[in-house]
Amino acid sequence: MNHKMKGILGAVLSFSILLVGCSSPTVNTNSTEDNKLNIVATTTMLADLSTVIGGERVTVDGLMGPGIDPHLYQASAGDVSLMQQADVVVYNGLHLEGKMGEIFENLSGQGAAVICIEEGLDESKLLAWEDDSSVHDPHIWFDVSLWEAAAKTVADGLSQADPDGKSGYEANLDAYLKELEETDTYIRNRAAELPEKQRVLVTAHDAFQYFGKAYGFEVRGLQGISTDAEAGTADVSDLANFIVERQIKAIFVESSVPPKTIEALQAAVKAKGFDVAIGGELYSDSLGDEDSGAGTYLLTVKANIDTIVDALK
Amino acid sequence: MSPQIEIQIIAVVVAVACALPGVFLVLRKMSMMSDSITHTILLGIVLAFFVTHDLSSPLLIVGAALMGVVTVWLTEMLSRTRLLAKDAAIGVVFPLLFSIAIILITRYAGSVHLDTDSVLLGELAFAPFDRMVIGSVDIGAKAIYTTGILLLINLAAIIIFFKELKAATFDPMLAAVLGFSPALVHYGLMTLVSLTTVGAFQAVGSVLVVAFMIGPPVTAYLLTDDLKRMLIVSGIIGAVNGILGYQAAAILDVSIAGSMAVVTGQVFLLVFVFAPRRGLISSLLRRRKQKMEFAKMTLLFHLYNHAGSDEEASECGVDTIPAQLHWDSAYTVKMIRFLERDGYVQLLDGLAKLTEEGRNASIRNYNALFAG
Repeated sequence: MNHKMKGILGAVLSFSILLVGCSSPTVNTNSTEDNKLNIVATTTMLADLSTVIGGERVTVDGLMGPGIDPHLYQASAGDVSLMQQADVVVYNGLHLEGKMGEIFENLSGQGAAVICIEEGLDESKLLAWEDDSSVHDPHIWFDVSLWEAAAKTVADGLSQADPDGKSGYEANLDAYLKELEETDTYIRNRAAELPEKQRVLVTAHDAFQYFGKAYGFEVRGLQGISTDAEAGTADVSDLANFIVERQIKAIFVESSVPPKTIEALQAAVKAKGFDVAIGGELYSDSLGDEDSGAGTYLLTVKANIDTIVDALK
Repeated sequence: MSPQIEIQIIAVVVAVACALPGVFLVLRKMSMMSDSITHTILLGIVLAFFVTHDLSSPLLIVGAALMGVVTVWLTEMLSRTRLLAKDAAIGVVFPLLFSIAIILITRYAGSVHLDTDSVLLGELAFAPFDRMVIGSVDIGAKAIYTTGILLLINLAAIIIFFKELKAATFDPMLAAVLGFSPALVHYGLMTLVSLTTVGAFQAVGSVLVVAFMIGPPVTAYLLTDDLKRMLIVSGIIGAVNGILGYQAAAILDVSIAGSMAVVTGQVFLLVFVFAPRRGLISSLLRRRKQKMEFAKMTLLFHLYNHAGSDEEASECGVDTIPAQLHWDSAYTVKMIRFLERDGYVQLLDGLAKLTEEGRNASIRNYNALFAG
């Protein structure tokens, strides 16, 4: 072996020592010291739901923070340890998490319980992509009745993962279902304040289809479902015509999508001699942060309907 | 094995697997090919989706790989015409294919969550949770095996065809004379690049593919001229970047891929500044030294020209040289002192006089510069 090869081998060797030496010695104990169930949820909505249903018996970590577009989520090194120590993983499904979803499915074989919201949903209630029924719109959370189904799925999943806590989870579920029911009524009442013709919701991307279907709003989005595709010029111009024609008072910005496109739409409408206001910011792919006063699912959907109705009145 | 260690193993394997074909990309001035492929595979995914209508079909990955090959072949074909430069060929093919994909999505699949990330994992943090299970035995993360196979293919191809690759990269004429087609070698290499990009994309995501494929080879290029050594050094640098990047990500709790890409950039910067021969500092030093050598030579010529002549007093005085050569006097004094130390010049009554050695040196310089 010549000198050069020895040098290389030495480098490789000292490197493998570094590799082993530096990695944190976390052991997969699958439970923390206080014996709480570790739940990892993907979106902020699911983290909130898991906290409500799990109550005292669980600790919940969300992977995606407030204001993060799930399509653009980047995992950090800390997320790896979270996943590793998770007893239960809660995810949305319907391809919202992209390829990550498949990984969560596989996790069930590795000691963690996996709760997939998609599985608890009635397929007939899902909105399909045009004529292909195998691909669905994943933004199910703004139809409160679908969220009730999600709450049941989480409660069932937690009861299976932690049978001792079953009664607690079911009590939490019952209480929460009542709150969801009230919220649903609240949204319907607020929506009813608008004449039917004015119930038109124009936003940046199509995250509100379920909301529209449930509460009688016509929803027009600028982008498609994936936030990767940019709005085309024809989209902007068509939508501007639509707004002028229907005399729509306000259009909306979304928390996890940059406001540029919707501002461009506003300018396009103005060029046609009609003034449309920007009605405010809607929470779409994530809940608000704690300071915003919309840190929970219930507060967020209420904030959204208030913003919408107040601006369109 | 803990996920943390598996992530580092995957990173090292991918880094080395990418660095090997990356060396040839850098040498052939086609670095951005990797960036091009990470974008154009979207078209392959979209087309495959129109066939299968299923976002989780493995055919989508096949489509991606095929489109990668189409991309490199189209680019190679364009640049072979010699009507446009290699980088221009990349710049034509990549936006064309990518925008066709975007148009198809907006036109026909507007409401499907169809993008590269939904088909290829592209997230190193989750790679360890995608397990390889044979029978019912868990034998490690899937990405370790897929990228490991990629590494073996690249290693084998480069070892077996080393001579051909070397000749085709540096001297295509010679390659043709030796009896193998440089075009064939290039197409083969580019196919390898395409497979590596798609395979590595699946494990580590697009930014890191580009960083791993280009960063280590350009860094190694600053350290060595020898192709074999450049391949080895690239591999080692890639592996170091991967592990350092992971450690930084763990400490700061940030995106792993992002952190590795940043480390790749920083290591390049470090080598760029401090490399022994090609680094910024050593070239600055070399330039300064050359400037001084040149000044000394100029002064010697000047003194030689005027030695013993009538105007020696006005031309060769320590206080008159600055005006003659347009130097400032401190610089002049410094140069005279250097020449004194070399034994080429003596000071007599404020006049700089050449010694015998100085005369000889001046003649030598003249011959070296003008006679040869």
